Amino acid sequence: MTTAQDPRLDPRLEAFEARIARGEKIEPGDWMPDEYRRQLIRMISQHAHSEYVGMLPEGEWITRAPSLRRKMILMAKVQDEAGHGQYLYHAAETLGATREDMMDALLSGRAKYSSIFNYPSLTWADVGMIGWLVDGAAIKNQTMLAGCSYGPYSRAMVRICSEETFHHKQGKEMILTYAAGTPAQRRMAQDALNRWWWPSLMMLGPHDQDSPNTAVLSRWGIKLKSNDEVRQEFINEHVPELLEAGLSIPDPDLRFDEASGNWIHGPINWDEFWAVVKGNGPMNRARLEARRFAHEDGAWVREALAAYGARSQAQAAD
Amino acid sequence: MMDTQWPRWEVFKQDAPGKPHQAVGSVHATDPQHALVTARTVFVRRPSAVSLWVVPARVILARTAEELVTEGELPATEPEAAAPQRYLVFRKTNHRRSMTFVDYALTLEAASPEAALRRAREHFAHSPTLVWWIVPEAAITRSDESPETVESWFAPARDKTYRQQSSYGVVGSHISKHKQRPQGAERD
Repeated sequence: MTTAQDPRLDPRLEAFEARIARGEKIEPGDWMPDEYRRQLIRMISQHAHSEYVGMLPEGEWITRAPSLRRKMILMAKVQDEAGHGQYLYHAAETLGATREDMMDALLSGRAKYSSIFNYPSLTWADVGMIGWLVDGAAIKNQTMLAGCSYGPYSRAMVRICSEETFHHKQGKEMILTYAAGTPAQRRMAQDALNRWWWPSLMMLGPHDQDSPNTAVLSRWGIKLKSNDEVRQEFINEHVPELLEAGLSIPDPDLRFDEASGNWIHGPINWDEFWAVVKGNGPMNRARLEARRFAHEDGAWVREALAAYGARSQAQAAD
Repeated sequence: MMDTQWPRWEVFKQDAPGKPHQAVGSVHATDPQHALVTARTVFVRRPSAVSLWVVPARVILARTAEELVTEGELPATEPEAAAPQRYLVFRKTNHRRSMTFVDYALTLEAASPEAALRRAREHFAHSPTLVWWIVPEAAITRSDESPETVESWFAPARDKTYRQQSSYGVVGSHISKHKQRPQGAERD
């Protein structure tokens, strides 16, 4: 932090930090350090973008769902992701960001979104594995963020978590069905786990010592747990369930540590993580192209709505 | 950058009859009906609503307790002879849970939003308020209150049990069931 803008010099900071220490929520009109506002806009808009891009790997499978029930579930889930994006964009707007600017940042590639959505969904079992693992990891993160100090973000997260629980459970049900199914179904489930396990661990972010924003985020009650803590919770919950389903985890170093009660994972390939974050994952370009296409292809809907709205207003004025 | 986006509308949702309308978020829309339909899609995908209101965000006077302390009393901008209008007062009253919203509290008449806020603060002088929103009643567009509309707008989600987490409630506790492949069960 530079001394010129050092928020530690602002006399209002002490009262602000005392409020957070008391567990109070910060609301949009309250004073807040510039850095608190900046970090929140960064996190919330990235989160919103992730919900939007997250529609793509699953949306591809709506037409190919194996039953009407599965198709309805998937359509509801993809619709939820769009809704979650809306809640989150709104929360960022309360901090002064505009929807238009945030959308432009996503479509132009200026903004980041979750690394996980840059992997392809190759089979129907991937849809289940995304629900079980990716949404499972997201819920762990989001449950923590539901307790965060900024009111609108916290409220959006509570709503999102209750809806994500449906995503998590339907994915788990789907995989358990396959894991207990025909040999071909079991192979599909195992193959999906092999491909999604490591990206799911990575999506919770770099190790704490490599996470540049964690200190300031935890100091101001935005993040109540570190990346490694959330990752450990995720692993401890999911490993026993995956093993019980008869699947094997693609980590030769994975072991249960009796002393701590934790499952200990082997080294994560962070080179791959950073390559994906920097735009060189398997699907980065295709995802952004699909988003841009959807935006441009939907231009006529926006124009029609604007024309209808203008005409209604003109008629009302007559 | 130039702001060319559609106007923003604040959305207020009522979960059940007798409960207050609560500010739940916003949508961008071209006109009130568009805002209502979008609000229904975004905020009522699950069955816990009987009514929605939308209000253009720009007409809402919003103040936090902290702003009122640091900025002092709001200037009286109302013209002397302004005819009183009806205003809805919304409040957020505690920090304790994540789900504390800005809730509808009272309707009163005043010559301006600022005057309405002053009267609201007097009215609730003995109950601390963390966030105030003052909304002119004339700016509110409400979902139709007829039973037929309420049914057609908000009931369909009730039949979509597959959207509910409870529909998958057995998943964690009975893994053994999934290993048995009961005969005749639907495979998918």
